[in-house]
Amino acid sequence: MKQKKSIGTVFKNGIFAENPTFRLVLGMCPTLAVSTAVFQGLGMGLATTFVLVFSNFVIALLRNIIPDKVRIPAFIVVIATFVTIVDLMLKAFIPSLSESLGIFIPLIVVNCIIFARAESFASKNSVLLSITDGLGMGLGFTLGISLLSACRELLGNGTLLGIQVMPESFQPMAIALRPPGGFIMLGILLIIINAAGKAIAKRKVMKAKEAEL
Amino acid sequence: MTSLILIIISGVLVNNLVMSQFLGICPFLGISKKTETAFGMGMAVTFVMVLASVITYLIRAYLLLPFNLEYMQTIAFILVIAVLVQTVEIVLKKVSRSLYQALGVYLPLITTNCAVLGVAISNTTAVEGGYNLIQSAVNGLAGALGFTLALVAFAAIREKLAMNDLPKWMDGFPGALIAAGLMAVAFQGFAGLI
Amino acid sequence: MQKKLIVSPGPHLHNHAVSTQRIMLDVVIALLPTAAAAVWFFGGSALMLMIVAVISAIAAEYVYQKLTHQPVTVSDMSSVVTGLLLAFNLPANAPWWLAAVGSFLAIILIKQLFGGIGQNFMNPALAARAILMLSWTGLMAANVLPHAGQWVAPLAADAVSVATPLTHGAEGFTLWQLFSGDVPGMIGETSKLALLLGGVYLLIRKVIDWRIPVSFLGTVAIAYFIQTGTLYSVESGAHNVLYQLLSGGLIIGAFFMATDYVTSPITGIGKLIMGVGCGLFLFVIREFSSYPEGCSFAILFLNVLTPLIDRFTTKKPFGFEKPTAPAKEAKA
Repeated sequence: MKQKKSIGTVFKNGIFAENPTFRLVLGMCPTLAVSTAVFQGLGMGLATTFVLVFSNFVIALLRNIIPDKVRIPAFIVVIATFVTIVDLMLKAFIPSLSESLGIFIPLIVVNCIIFARAESFASKNSVLLSITDGLGMGLGFTLGISLLSACRELLGNGTLLGIQVMPESFQPMAIALRPPGGFIMLGILLIIINAAGKAIAKRKVMKAKEAEL
Repeated sequence: MTSLILIIISGVLVNNLVMSQFLGICPFLGISKKTETAFGMGMAVTFVMVLASVITYLIRAYLLLPFNLEYMQTIAFILVIAVLVQTVEIVLKKVSRSLYQALGVYLPLITTNCAVLGVAISNTTAVEGGYNLIQSAVNGLAGALGFTLALVAFAAIREKLAMNDLPKWMDGFPGALIAAGLMAVAFQGFAGLI
Repeated sequence: MQKKLIVSPGPHLHNHAVSTQRIMLDVVIALLPTAAAAVWFFGGSALMLMIVAVISAIAAEYVYQKLTHQPVTVSDMSSVVTGLLLAFNLPANAPWWLAAVGSFLAIILIKQLFGGIGQNFMNPALAARAILMLSWTGLMAANVLPHAGQWVAPLAADAVSVATPLTHGAEGFTLWQLFSGDVPGMIGETSKLALLLGGVYLLIRKVIDWRIPVSFLGTVAIAYFIQTGTLYSVESGAHNVLYQLLSGGLIIGAFFMATDYVTSPITGIGKLIMGVGCGLFLFVIREFSSYPEGCSFAILFLNVLTPLIDRFTTKKPFGFEKPTAPAKEAKA
């Protein structure tokens, strides 16, 4: 018997329980590469969300029409089409973002998140649920990459979204903006979030036990 | 000739795909638990990357540019790579069954390996007008060798770490990420090389 | 909670903490001449940095082990050594917090997070130095002229961008200056005389193995001999073997950093490979990159390759049989 999924659960799933960045650990390449400033991180997250939502939509729409043998190339063409659209739109409307994100815009097409959701969700669920899943996952990803960007920009530049936040006497730690900093910051963030997750889960169990008594 | 050597040094050390460009992170974190598998993956990626560099160059030179279809580049490139990986899968199944099984689900994942598509695209933007055929192939080779080096060295480190008493919360990805970060520190030594 | 069997290279002494302490004590003794030279040439600021670094290192280890409910091992003196070595890698005009941050990074990020003593894969003091250099490049520039016998640096020297022996184009240092330590540089790496005294002590006490220093220095010597053709001459300035051997972090690196038995290969052959590798990369970075000094990165890169080197050079344990690949038979 198939479990009925509600839109709310599907949406929240992408942001918390199955957050692509911190739980599924997918989409690492753009997360690490583009997170040197919040503006870039947000931009990348939202561009990816756009592609995710639309590709999930189309694939869910056509899920009963696409023959199983050619589903991989079909997914690729759909995803690549929307990536090309995003690429051209950014080039036209926000050229500064297009330039700073550089090669990682066309690389959205190989973002494992999009492929994974197409394969495991959109090809098996209704259009409405798939759009919601795309939105949830995309926003979860945006949240993750923006969080990392905030940490790195704060530590490595003293700014957030370009605005000076740290006091003048703060000496920015330049390595935060370089590759080693990206890896280490994400690792530390993951440790903190995992620990927080465990603490919250523990508290839920304790509360449930107390409620039983 | 010197420019080719520079391309190789740049590809393997200075602009290492994983350590400097953040490409190929998923397999880097996912397949690096054993050195043998890592090496096998590296070789598979090398094969695909060199061929992909050549074929995407040809497609761009003789199809996309003459017919003003540059905006189709992303779609065309990724389709080429997908077909290439499928072919490698079939060939590997016949030639080396053990390697095929060891790589498992990671083989088709080479399609989504941003490193392969990344190199194909950067071949077109590296210099004014993009690299020529030979340069593209060499760049693909260098990138793949650098990727293999990073993967194999990291796998050896992880094998060693598996015997350590890591704190519980370092288990899995956090530990791998921090170790990778320290490895990246070492690679920074090559930053000003070229 | 079962502690896994510790598989580590010999010598296997029974009381783990005491044996580590003995080795660390020897290292501290070996570093005393260098500490004295650092204070002699760089005065009060050098002393301050050493004190801050060592106290921070001990504090970092103590606090971490307390917070994670582990037995406190500060008495094994390894954090003292790390703190001291880190201080030696700082310039005299480094702010005190740089030493503290460096020590925290070395002890917590590079050593404790990976399992503590004996389990790090990179030299903690060196990796911390590299991170500091990449983060606060300006603060890590060796900008102070040595002021032998004086407690405080003469004011004029601090504001001027000072040329170190390896800054391209700098040629005005005599061999004796390089050897005694009367040159600008990190406070612990300038006095080759003091360092060599310590290095020889460690070799005699069998705390370090001769292979790494010899192959490291040997490779650098050969590389520079091939490049410059001169062992030493005053006219050749910096372009001769002896000048290069006695400049920068090479001596401290070859004797105290690369030889860290935790982060270097286990076998003799492995150690030789590491020494040669370090020498080659040092040469390449010094000659072809925009960095004036490449010793830290050369050693760190070989730290990264050490597990791989071990894979290829360790002998199989007695009685071990390689499992046959069943696929090969199935194919036939």
